[in-house]
Amino acid sequence: MSGTVAGHPAPLIDGIEKVTGRARYTADLGFSALWGEILRSPHAHAEIVRVDTSRARALAGVRAVLTGDDCDVPYGILPIAQNEFPLARGRVRYWGEPVAAVAADDEKTARAALELIEVEYRPLPACFSADQALAESATLLHDDKPRNIEREVENAFGDVPAGFAAADLVREEHFRYAEVTHAQMEPDAALAEYDAARDQLTLQSVTQVPYYVHLTLAQCLGMSPSRIRVVKPFVGGGFGHRTECLNFEIIAALLARAARGAVRIALSREQTFVMHHGRPETAIRLKIGMKKNGEITAVDAECVQRGGAYASYGIVTILYAGALLHALYRLPAAKYRGLRVYSNTPPCGPMRGHGSVDMRHAFESLLDAMARELGLDPFAVRRANLITPPYRSGNDLQVNSCGLAECLDWVEQASGWKARKGRLAPGRGLGMACSHYVSGAAKPVHWTGEPHATVNLRLDFDGSVTLLTGAADIGQGSSTLLAMVAADVLGIGLERIRVIAADSALTPKDNGSYSSRVSYMVGNAAIAAAEALKKQLNPDVAFDEAVRQALAKSGPITVSGTYTVPRELQGGKFRGAGVGPSPAFSYAAQVVEVAVDEETGEVKVERIWVAQDCGFAINPLAVEGQIQGAVWMGMGQALGEATRYDAPHGLPVCANLLDYRFPTIVESPPIEVKIVEARDPNGPFGAKEASEGALAGFLPALTSAIADAVGIRPNELPVTADRLFEALRERRRAARLRSAAA
Amino acid sequence: MFLPEFTLLRPATLEAATRLAAEPQARVIAGGTALLPSLRLGLGAPRTLVSLDAISDLSRIEPLEGGVRIGACVSLSAILENQNLSKSYPAMGEAARSVAAPGHRSVATLGGNLCLDTRCLYYNQSEQWRRSNGYCLKYGGDTCHVAPQGKKCRAAYSGDLAPALLVLQAEVETTSRRLLLEELYRDDGANHLQLAPGEIVCAVRIPAPRGCSGYAKARARGAIDFPLAGVAMALELRSGHIAQLRVALTGTNSRPFVLSGTDAFIGGKPDGATLAKLVQKQAAPMRTSVTAADYRRQAAMVLARRLLDRLSTGEQR
Repeated sequence: MSGTVAGHPAPLIDGIEKVTGRARYTADLGFSALWGEILRSPHAHAEIVRVDTSRARALAGVRAVLTGDDCDVPYGILPIAQNEFPLARGRVRYWGEPVAAVAADDEKTARAALELIEVEYRPLPACFSADQALAESATLLHDDKPRNIEREVENAFGDVPAGFAAADLVREEHFRYAEVTHAQMEPDAALAEYDAARDQLTLQSVTQVPYYVHLTLAQCLGMSPSRIRVVKPFVGGGFGHRTECLNFEIIAALLARAARGAVRIALSREQTFVMHHGRPETAIRLKIGMKKNGEITAVDAECVQRGGAYASYGIVTILYAGALLHALYRLPAAKYRGLRVYSNTPPCGPMRGHGSVDMRHAFESLLDAMARELGLDPFAVRRANLITPPYRSGNDLQVNSCGLAECLDWVEQASGWKARKGRLAPGRGLGMACSHYVSGAAKPVHWTGEPHATVNLRLDFDGSVTLLTGAADIGQGSSTLLAMVAADVLGIGLERIRVIAADSALTPKDNGSYSSRVSYMVGNAAIAAAEALKKQLNPDVAFDEAVRQALAKSGPITVSGTYTVPRELQGGKFRGAGVGPSPAFSYAAQVVEVAVDEETGEVKVERIWVAQDCGFAINPLAVEGQIQGAVWMGMGQALGEATRYDAPHGLPVCANLLDYRFPTIVESPPIEVKIVEARDPNGPFGAKEASEGALAGFLPALTSAIADAVGIRPNELPVTADRLFEALRERRRAARLRSAAA
Repeated sequence: MFLPEFTLLRPATLEAATRLAAEPQARVIAGGTALLPSLRLGLGAPRTLVSLDAISDLSRIEPLEGGVRIGACVSLSAILENQNLSKSYPAMGEAARSVAAPGHRSVATLGGNLCLDTRCLYYNQSEQWRRSNGYCLKYGGDTCHVAPQGKKCRAAYSGDLAPALLVLQAEVETTSRRLLLEELYRDDGANHLQLAPGEIVCAVRIPAPRGCSGYAKARARGAIDFPLAGVAMALELRSGHIAQLRVALTGTNSRPFVLSGTDAFIGGKPDGATLAKLVQKQAAPMRTSVTAADYRRQAAMVLARRLLDRLSTGEQR
């Protein structure tokens, strides 16, 4: 049980560096390094006929020039789907794909060298949508992938036909979602330093996953991992963008080795947009069967994702979209078909709420519409399908804690739902929705048999405790959280703990900051480590005295704590069962209030009430911020964000912060947060994830509020003003036609 | 991103600035909030930037025959901080407040905003992006990707202050002449400013205000964004009837322009629907932004109608 530190709001322990500007981010490092630049494809799809680098090599000040010939080892985050090269070999598959790279004494020389590289392309027909890619006549992106299908998923749990037969109401709808991307504050950058005398490489990068970067560098450079060190400096946000090794990281390392020195690469905002790895453009067909009382009897879902040019996490994303249909409500029967399709656009990847967000919007929207048709309150229809833990879903997701009922109660009350719903001024509306998310993927990407997480604690003569973790703090506050956990167990103040994180020379390996795994898994490892250290300390004396006594026996102490997901929480046996299972699930409900300007189609979010069950808030201050951030990111996707690639070159039209329209502070409404704590039996102090679960619920709560306000329920996101204006105008036209006919 | 090499010159007099700015490959820079991002995208590679910041005369606000004369280098935040200006010329205050964000406004200048380059999805992109696309009519190429059949650049003028000053009947002083603000612009996205080489906008002269004025801006987001459409209006009512009505638009065409035909409203009651029709006819947005062109026209119509409503209610109160 938690004591004096955990559960109490604490400012981030590295906040001072950030607000004073002392924090050094990757692009702030290595100013004496060589300048690295990447030559990129001007085509969306083309054969590379010839690359001539001789003139670039001859330019004074150029230290290395590389092409696809310099690395023939494919990479990719999933061992079963590695089809990308750091520099394209033989073919380019999206605009902006790296083709060659240069390291030079300075920026001007590097840029001049790029101009001297001659590349001859033979353009190929390109696919910019899933439909184009699936067409019989489409050119294949990868010869081994017929119809450009990366993965087709089909599964069914329970008796789906019987479920629909038992329903009182069956409805089916189609939904469309634009591709969105992370737009994290910090653009991509890497600094690689190669020590030629020792054949050793150090890479510093913006990554969320230093361990996977380390493995990939070893693989692509053909080096023993023992000769590589990966360090993560301060990182300005990730949201999934940096959840695998990215091409510029490998290119920086290759350039450093070729130039036998240090090379720094800093991508522009446009190039960072093209690095992408965000949420794919998605089309969903969804059918739900429901009893009169709101109970769901069956679900039939189909999802097509335009995945971009390479595999990345694509298989995981398309599996998540089906797997996380489950474990929010009781689903007696559910069928899922998913298609992940290759296209000539930048590779998609994981993004906050990975795989679950678009499907959750479709699901909650249809639920809402059906509730209305049956005359049920939206809250009632959710309550009719609540899970009571322990619960095992049809697809073997094990739920041991669920505070959704309490979340629903709070947002209903706080928003004044009962008194206000249906009684707002014209153009105003209220909508609600639920969502959930995993607290760490139960199966890591690289299965090694090792524990899921390890934390080391060091205690020495000075009486301070050093916590060593590979977990990557990318702004979410993981280092603070781990310090709080250890301090709490040891019964010491937070100021006694120093955290050293994410340096492979010092810290134990960690799988990284993705799938909201760190609080739960690394938190548990931190508890285990602190418990192990505590055992060596005399509890009857003051801490400094206890340290002296312990060190007198053994000298300086290092202990290790680990966490492994119990077998029964690791999911089922069917194909694809590895995606979805988690040791615990977070739950969230929210109510959104909007004002719609019916003349301009503009939607203003007036207020948001959100409750999230995060098990236990180890740092309530950070939890509140994470929940607000998640909701806000959902708001961006719902209202304005969309990438766009124009034929014929696949040019990214919105690859800047003016045209990629995430909300500004002006649009950011008050977000009232309620932390609900349904403690998880296996979580650290009962904690679960806190930074993704509330995102997906925002989108359907918003469109439901719009439906409440103006009677139009958008099934295509984002709901930009011009789209809603068009829908409203269309309705007025139809009404005019009707009245003319009458 | 890459900033091309240039020499920054800071002449102390307008005469010197004019001479330096007339040199080939020279550009005038004031606040730089628009110019520097463009240079980073490779839109131009001037050898010299002639900064106006050392010429103190350009930063003055002074009364003038019942009106006011505002130096071209007065920052937008200085305009906002001057309460007399915002009170006498609400359209100008509202327009200045709607530009970008406070950080930009603290250095962005009145003259810079008036001389803002036109904008287009196919133009405000990186060098590599535009090169892949064969460049465009406005810069480096011979095709307009917005209207490929046409031989005219359709990039949209997107300054907020110009329409406000147009309805306020402002004049512009340059280093060589005095002209009506509307004479500063021409309807060509690739060459929208009527300035001779080396000619620098020095000041804006606004006559005494008549009636009331306002500015309304359609935008995707409440900060940062350029206008999808912007409408400025100056209205004078006499016992409920229109004595003067001037309306100007930005964001929809390659130049900011005064809506023609509003004289017909004189003597009548404010009629928003008819005004909206005038806007519909004269606003000519093209596919230069992410937002649908027709929406920008429709938004301008709504803004104009509502602005007329707001001002006429305010006037009668």
